[in-house]
Amino acid sequence: MITSFVFKALDRRAIWVIAVLVGLAVLVPLLNLALPAGHPLHVPNYAISLMGKYLTYALLALALDLVWGYCGILSLGHGAFFALGGYAMGMYLMRQIGARGVYGDPVLPDFMVFLNWQELPWFWYGFDQFWFAAIMIVLVPGALAFVFGWFAFRSRVTGVYLSIITQAMTYALLLAFFRNEMGFGGNNGLTDFKDILGYAIQADTTRAALFSASALALAAAFLICSGIVRSKFGKVLVAVRDAESRSRFFGYRVENVKLFVFVVSAMMAGVAGALYVPQVGIINPGEFAPANSIEVVIWTAVGGRGTLVGPIVGAVLVNAGKSVFTAAFPEFWLFALGALFVAVTLFLPKGIVGALSGLATRRPRRPAPVIRDAAGEAAE
Amino acid sequence: MSTLKNRIRSFGMATIVAATTASSAAWAEDTIKVGILHSLSGTMAISETTLKDVMLMLIEEQNEKGGLLGKQLEAVVVDPASDWPLFAEKARELLEVHEVAAVFGNWTSVSRKSVLPVFDELNGILFYPVQYEGEESQRNVFYTGAAPNQQAIPAVDYLLENEEVERWVLAGTDYVYPRTTNKILEAYLKSKGVSDEDIMINYTPFGHSDWQTIVADIKAFGSEGKKTAVVSTINGDANVPFYKELGNQGISATDIPVVAFSVGEEELAGLDTAPLVGHLAAWNYFQSVDTPENEAFIEAWKAFIGDEDRVTNDPMEAHYIGFNMWVKAVEKAGTTDVDTVIDEIIGVAVPNLSGGYSAMMPNHHITKPVLIGEIQEDGQFDIVDQTDGLVAGDAWSDYLPDSAKLISDWRKPLECGNFNVETQTCGGKGS
Amino acid sequence: MKRFIAALFILPMLFSGAGADDGLIERIDALATGKLKDRAAQIEAISETGDARAVPALQALRDGSLYFRKSDKKVFLAEKSGSDFVLKDPLTAAEVETLSKSAVRKVKVNNRLRRQLTAVIGSMTLESPDPGTRLAAARTIFKTGDVSALEALEAAIRTEQNADVLAAMELARASALLKSDAETFEKVKAVELVGTRGGRDAVPLLKELESSQDESIAQAAGKQIAQIEKAQVLWNSAQTVWYGISLGSVLLLAAIGLAVTFGVMGVINMAHGEMVMLGAYTTFVVQEVIRGSFPGLFDYSLLMALPLAFLVAGACGFAMERGIIRFLYGRPLETLLATWGVSLILQQAIRTIFGPTNREVGNPSWMSGAYELGGLTLTANRLWIVVFALIVFAALFLVLKRTGFGLQMRAVTQNRKMASSMGIRTPWVDALTFALGSGIAGIAGVALSQIANVSPNLGQSYIIDSFMVVVFGGVGNLWGTLVGAMTLGIANKFLEPYAGAVLAKILILVFIILFIQKRPRGLFALKGRAVEA
Repeated sequence: MITSFVFKALDRRAIWVIAVLVGLAVLVPLLNLALPAGHPLHVPNYAISLMGKYLTYALLALALDLVWGYCGILSLGHGAFFALGGYAMGMYLMRQIGARGVYGDPVLPDFMVFLNWQELPWFWYGFDQFWFAAIMIVLVPGALAFVFGWFAFRSRVTGVYLSIITQAMTYALLLAFFRNEMGFGGNNGLTDFKDILGYAIQADTTRAALFSASALALAAAFLICSGIVRSKFGKVLVAVRDAESRSRFFGYRVENVKLFVFVVSAMMAGVAGALYVPQVGIINPGEFAPANSIEVVIWTAVGGRGTLVGPIVGAVLVNAGKSVFTAAFPEFWLFALGALFVAVTLFLPKGIVGALSGLATRRPRRPAPVIRDAAGEAAE
Repeated sequence: MSTLKNRIRSFGMATIVAATTASSAAWAEDTIKVGILHSLSGTMAISETTLKDVMLMLIEEQNEKGGLLGKQLEAVVVDPASDWPLFAEKARELLEVHEVAAVFGNWTSVSRKSVLPVFDELNGILFYPVQYEGEESQRNVFYTGAAPNQQAIPAVDYLLENEEVERWVLAGTDYVYPRTTNKILEAYLKSKGVSDEDIMINYTPFGHSDWQTIVADIKAFGSEGKKTAVVSTINGDANVPFYKELGNQGISATDIPVVAFSVGEEELAGLDTAPLVGHLAAWNYFQSVDTPENEAFIEAWKAFIGDEDRVTNDPMEAHYIGFNMWVKAVEKAGTTDVDTVIDEIIGVAVPNLSGGYSAMMPNHHITKPVLIGEIQEDGQFDIVDQTDGLVAGDAWSDYLPDSAKLISDWRKPLECGNFNVETQTCGGKGS
Repeated sequence: MKRFIAALFILPMLFSGAGADDGLIERIDALATGKLKDRAAQIEAISETGDARAVPALQALRDGSLYFRKSDKKVFLAEKSGSDFVLKDPLTAAEVETLSKSAVRKVKVNNRLRRQLTAVIGSMTLESPDPGTRLAAARTIFKTGDVSALEALEAAIRTEQNADVLAAMELARASALLKSDAETFEKVKAVELVGTRGGRDAVPLLKELESSQDESIAQAAGKQIAQIEKAQVLWNSAQTVWYGISLGSVLLLAAIGLAVTFGVMGVINMAHGEMVMLGAYTTFVVQEVIRGSFPGLFDYSLLMALPLAFLVAGACGFAMERGIIRFLYGRPLETLLATWGVSLILQQAIRTIFGPTNREVGNPSWMSGAYELGGLTLTANRLWIVVFALIVFAALFLVLKRTGFGLQMRAVTQNRKMASSMGIRTPWVDALTFALGSGIAGIAGVALSQIANVSPNLGQSYIIDSFMVVVFGGVGNLWGTLVGAMTLGIANKFLEPYAGAVLAKILILVFIILFIQKRPRGLFALKGRAVEA
């Protein structure tokens, strides 16, 4: 069963992508650690954490693509799952600080000490163990997605309404995490981490290892997504995307199909968040901001939704562009970014990858499959 | 260019970064680089863009004076876009790729917290120019803004003495700075004999725009026959609608004065100040300070920015002080080497704009006068009170139980930002 | 010049006869000396003369327009003209000379002195010939309960003819009595008078007496407070409803343009907030022009800004539709991406042109202040915004239901192909509809500039709320938007006292999420084929 799942997942493109990712996971740390700083092929530390960050973004975009590109659920709240995974990781890292905080309290994180908290809130228990945190990283976003999806898909909330309430969800979480009473550090979030699994978080080797972990996680997620979309279930997904009512009349339990991929996608987003946090060194409520979630949608669209490679390319390109432009033209990069979004939607409706593969195959043009998304239904 | 393109294809970002590293290494020979880490877009651009401009002006002035150590200064401006993790990334870029000698930047506490590990790891220098909640003293950071004892407590003292205030509303935006400041003030007021029911604490979210209910509550709280004042730690954007609502509900400064710690000339520039006359602010600098240094500074600023109407404010002065301190320390040390400068800068004193000298203390905070100003119709402040001498910034507040036992001294032999005087140990050095 | 000097000499004599050298002018000039701390005594010295001629100087001191000449420390009333100051004699208000800013300095004053001045001016103007001034004086004394004004009040009451002023003065006398050492029975009577006629303003005065040593006074005060507060309970909930309506009308204004573009056309316009922002900046520009060239017209600035804001935002919307959105019909979610890009560009453009800082948009005089309606306080700007929101709503409603263009718009919404076959130029209708929605957002910006920051971030702060309102109310239904906005506004304001501002907002969001589960197409769902197609 599993072998066939994996086998099916691996078409030529998938093999390529996974090979590249695994190659990166091995090669980049080697180039960083083994080569001296002056060597022309040396990868600087700065680039390692930067690329590690892009890879976690790519994972998030991939997760979104699974629900949006293949199942037509436009989630404007995927940042919430990402941030929840990040908070779970952040809580683990916070507990690892132990007595090395500025106030030297063995249990309470610094922000609790200076807000005069007397004891650890119950939901912080267990996070001193990595295995517990690791479970929470997938469980918390998964559970939220399950509850949210269970209600939403069962009541057949679709289209714009679904997009807007996912946005409402992440916005509500944003406001909630801003509150200092919540016990998650309020606006400042969680920061000043020291160790992960006993290794100093700022060490070059740790950074390289985190990069590798991100690349491997992305490869694994790609494999899973590829397996899902190529299985029979994947065909159902696309059927739900293109004609929800018709699939329902054929006897498919549309809400269950949607719920399953929504939960899987949320868990992947959670893992992305968990890998993101130790590499950037901070998690705060800003990650819940609706604008962030919209950006993820944009990465996916730029890369090409409905093509698993697309979101990865999109996330890396847009963020790399952001890194370069914010340094090169700090005052004008928003113009460039804005123009990019307009241009991509107008001239590359299938995204970069979609357009490139269109060029490569040179197939006679078929009428483009109508990807019916939510707002479409209301509009037509 | 074509080779670069190929490399991008095959190797992704790494090459771009490597290429910039190589080119910047070539530059580094001729100039001393100074990093500027202020948001130029996003929500904080509103406050931080001005600070970027003032840094550019200071660097330009220094270069006209012949630069530093015989070299020209070169400003490296990046835009962290009000995105806190991006601050960390950009700080890393400044230190690792551009190899800047010092960074001037940040506004919000969370952005500072986000870059701290980076400055610690890569051993850089950060000058932080904004008033903040204290409870921090890092080896690599110099805090040129006010600590709570340099702003909040003198302001409350003024209200106690001059306005004979008996009831207090502590209103703030829900984040660390107001929370901590209000904790400190609450403890301080209680130590002055103010009872619990005479203190009302209220928190609102960032950018809160509908103040009707809260202002009505304040009005009701203030009509109990005792003189009432509001101590506002409301952040940036939320202030305009707050003051507008105060004015509209007819609360004048003579009824319930509001003393604010985050409202300066720049914030007032976006407001019709006529209904606000008499409300107060506590800072270490006002544009209306009457000294020749300040006059020269304002003139230079207006000329630099090319706008007669632009105002100056407290964080700008903090950058002015911080930049001059750094210049003086580098000259003293004869090098921009970070460790040497960190050692040399302690004790360095430079003129501030209010007619005295500010000195860098061993806890990396500076000495400053505290001024209380009343808002005038023209958007400026009329200074109604001033501390007698300079107040030294206290990193660890004496009014919070856990922080009262900590001290900070970065000189040898202690070299510790959070030394616990009870246990005689330096916290955070467990590893 | 000669005339001036003559006036200087003659006028004081005319007014006070032999008392010209009673030292009043010296006492006023003394204000220029010493520190803030000394000023209270100086003001006291002036008020002891009881000489009403000093009132203009004291008023100027309170309002911050009393200056002294640096050269000889003489005090003048000053009026700013350009960068110079016109100095006027403090007693006669006759112009003396015009000096540059650097030659004069303001006599400093702080809140405490302002309060003292208000009280002093109050007791000095009780005998003013103008009944309005007397009334204001009496009310000031009522609020401060100034004991020292008691004598002056009693004298004034004996001669007062005007019934309204007399009533106010008696109330003021009662208030002043509360703090005096009068007999108990007199005080109890005063408490009753203050309690029954003083309304809410009486509460602070009475609260002080609640802890009085004298049992009967404390009891009377307590009784009065209880009565006032009881009467206030109902008013308080009315007040909360009002706050809710006013918040709701802000939401309505922000969302109503979106209800057109999103509701009617199905376009997710993420740049909607930026259209609001354009409207607000148009207001700013209009006010700048008026300030610079026609200061007299300032009160009409908003009226002038309205059509301009509609045009600017509408034109921008029109350009957006023609340039971008029309290529994306049938791919509605992609409009989300493109318009998000547009919103980034617009924000940054505004930031580049106007700078990142807040811009000052002033309130015209008719939008400042508050009206008292029984126990309700209606602030003028909120009142106007509520009225304005309803007018915009009604106008839009009429356009949709009663005009040919509205008919075409509805036809295109319901069945594009059929409308097209009937000869309606659907692309043209689309463009105009989008322009209309954007223009209305621009108008909303004019109103919101009165209560919010005018900064490049303005649009961002309203976009999510607007979407919530439209979705909650039901896409494609204007009534839904109205009811949705008001419901959310009022619910928010009722929750706020219990849950705090943040939690209230979270609860509202959770409520919307749950509500959508129950009614997946909003409050007023469109029915029929258009829904499922």
